[in-house]
Amino acid sequence: MTNTTVTFNGLASARIDMRWLSEAMTQSYTADQTNKLTLPVGNKKIEVGELFNISGNFTNNTVQLEGCTPKLDYIGHALPKGAQLIVTGDCGHYLGAQLAGGKVTIIGNTLDFAGCSMREGMIEVKGNCADYLGGALPGHKKGIAGGTILVHGNTGNFTGDLMRRGIIMVTGDIGDYCGSRMIAGTITNLGKIGKQAGMGMRRGTLLLPELPEDMASTFTNCGRHNLGYLTLLLHQLRSHDSEFKSLHSMRRRVQKYMGDTSVGGLGEILIWIG
Amino acid sequence: MIINGVVIDDTFSEAFSMRATRVIITAINYKWARHAAETMTGFATSVIGCKVEAGIERAMGNHETPDGRPGMSVLLFSTDRKTLQKQLEARVGQCVLTCPTTAVFSGMDSEDQIALGKNLRYFGDGYQNSKLIGGKRFWRIPVMDGEFVCEEMAGVQKAIGGGNILIFARTVSQVLLACEAAIDSMSMLPNIILPFPGGGVRSGSKVGSKYKGLSASTNHHYCPTLKGTPGNELNKNIEAVMEIVIDGLTTEDVRLAMKRGIEAVCDLGKSQGIEKITGGNYGGKLGEHHFYLRDIVDD
Repeated sequence: MTNTTVTFNGLASARIDMRWLSEAMTQSYTADQTNKLTLPVGNKKIEVGELFNISGNFTNNTVQLEGCTPKLDYIGHALPKGAQLIVTGDCGHYLGAQLAGGKVTIIGNTLDFAGCSMREGMIEVKGNCADYLGGALPGHKKGIAGGTILVHGNTGNFTGDLMRRGIIMVTGDIGDYCGSRMIAGTITNLGKIGKQAGMGMRRGTLLLPELPEDMASTFTNCGRHNLGYLTLLLHQLRSHDSEFKSLHSMRRRVQKYMGDTSVGGLGEILIWIG
Repeated sequence: MIINGVVIDDTFSEAFSMRATRVIITAINYKWARHAAETMTGFATSVIGCKVEAGIERAMGNHETPDGRPGMSVLLFSTDRKTLQKQLEARVGQCVLTCPTTAVFSGMDSEDQIALGKNLRYFGDGYQNSKLIGGKRFWRIPVMDGEFVCEEMAGVQKAIGGGNILIFARTVSQVLLACEAAIDSMSMLPNIILPFPGGGVRSGSKVGSKYKGLSASTNHHYCPTLKGTPGNELNKNIEAVMEIVIDGLTTEDVRLAMKRGIEAVCDLGKSQGIEKITGGNYGGKLGEHHFYLRDIVDD
């Protein structure tokens, strides 16, 4: 049950760093304490209360953010286990970055780097995501290192770049360079996939409904197989309320491609068959 | 206490503390799951000589197993955690990994865990892959029929080993009949195994021996061919004694199994040649768990 609501009044002239919200949630601030936090907005510093209306205190684990616009970055940054954030509206960059066990639900779209370098928890996007979903924070060497990202829509390029662990589920299409430089983990979708999927991947799995466009020649065709572990994976995919429930629970036959051999990779691109 | 003409001795069965784990073996069908389970639980009758006691707990339907295939639930018991892990890895590596189409999973949720596939993965020679699914890590090892999937860790818990009943009858045939009835009844229960061949033991042992270095020796008190010798407790009517040994996850599991066994034997009664039921009482030398037969019957 949501008792705390934060509403953006939309009056900001520049992008806003929303890490104050995570701080308020983890520190259980009161509304008064939160209103007095200062925010850098462009070349000025202003108080949170000037841009956001806050009802209720942050002693609750669940917070609702309303009136969100793409100007708001770092929403749900590093939220710990037990914390839940429900966002209405489109979000900016770095949504759920470095998430540490919390749950972020977005009823809208996100810009780049959603879920980047997250470690644990769940991000559910009821819309589309731009580039570098589950990728690495700029300067970091690893992308998402655990948890689940579920997108009820499409994602952009470089989805799962440098992904280390966890699952990215996309019900729609994925752009180019999906799973690029992937280290481990699983990316799966139900729609189309762009060019050069798995470029430079070392390990990990891309589980796709059809062959990617322009598949790199550095992937080896390993033939058709029944892979038992897919039943376990499907059990997890189907546990979420999404279109992935339409996959048959005992489906396990796939065409397997292994690569990227240009980097000595043992990753796999699995294409559902049968 | 006499039930249907069968005397229930006023004594207790001694049992001892163990560590147990449960694994689920699945395969393309029951035939291959059973092959793996039977092989894995072979030569696992007594910790005295086998280091581990193991048995098939039950067959599992497709809807009960982690990967939706037919499976077998196997329980393994050992005196300590380290031995249990060593035996588990050796047996899974030699008997399950090698068996066509199989996969193996932990069948016990516990914070205390031992390695299941954690070290077996190296058989993959670098081609092994892992997947973290639902908080559990599974290893995928390439083998000649596809992939061998095994969970990284298996749960382990404290358990009870060596619960037992001893059945006295007029003939070998009659004691076997009683044994089979008891074993059939006990085998229906979860959380227990009867680790000896078919569930029965003819070479019941006592603690110690006249020979140095032997920790157990024949229970000469109950050997019918030694009737009349000092210490032998059999009367002229008894021609055969059989023991059923029970390992269970909890004392309640062992008690229930003993109760079911005693009831099944008593149902046959004296008219079928059954004279007495007693327990393996070693004066407290064997273990700290004491199961009083008459209390169990009265439960």
